[in-house]
Amino acid sequence: MVDVEKLRSDYLNLEFDRKGFVINAENSAAVARAYGETRLEFVDPFDSNFQACLPILASLVSGRQLPIDFPSLGGISMDGGKAVTSIEPVRCGIELTGKTHLNDIYAKSGRTGRMIFLVSRIELYNASGKHLASADSRQVIRENPE
Amino acid sequence: MKIKKMSDIKFGMELPLFIPDTSLSAAKEFAKIVGYSGGGRFENHSQARAQGLPGALLPGIMSMGYLTRVIHEWAPSGTIQHIDTIFRAPILADHKHIISAVVTDIDEENSVIVLDLSIKNLKAETRVFGTATISIPKF
Repeated sequence: MVDVEKLRSDYLNLEFDRKGFVINAENSAAVARAYGETRLEFVDPFDSNFQACLPILASLVSGRQLPIDFPSLGGISMDGGKAVTSIEPVRCGIELTGKTHLNDIYAKSGRTGRMIFLVSRIELYNASGKHLASADSRQVIRENPE
Repeated sequence: MKIKKMSDIKFGMELPLFIPDTSLSAAKEFAKIVGYSGGGRFENHSQARAQGLPGALLPGIMSMGYLTRVIHEWAPSGTIQHIDTIFRAPILADHKHIISAVVTDIDEENSVIVLDLSIKNLKAETRVFGTATISIPKF
């Protein structure tokens, strides 16, 4: 069985990836329109308060999913969920830096065995280093029975 | 009822139920826009089944999109500070689903509320659930 406490002490809160992003305004607006958003600040790139919609922030992918030396846990990996924290509006067309770390590692046991949850967090900063938003990606791995 | 200010909100208040467009064509279009297309799992039932899935799926972030839409429609002046969506089970394309949400916390001092969110199929099975923290104007 994977030692979750050891994984936590070895890997939590250590930046393992840094990547630049520029969110395309038309693309973000198209995503917002596709789920039926009506607020102009999300669907109209010419609106004075236009900003990236939250699902587009959740779609950003870091260069690596896990730290380079993270042990293989075996089992099947599934997308367990997404979260976005908005601190300030993220404007489209500006250079963003995404810094990624593992924010949580935990296990849940059920009738079919144990599931390991890995939550990686991309923190998005603008060019002056201001933290604008964070996006969490929750990966679920069903542990192989021994 | 549209929410304009904190005093409009009551603990336990339910948002209007919403039926999202979960058609295969909507999933396919969304996947194309976000760059998820090409693998078949969001575009074609047969290709998805060949990958061991029960059918074509809605992209997870599309679920988040529908939830934000529901919140924005209910509280046009609110701002989502945080939204967390747990993908408990896939949302199958071409299957009808219902979105519901309820107010579970009110912080009058900071003018912030918390909603519990869920997307269920017609068998009342929860496919996606989550929470959202929303700031609402005081006055």
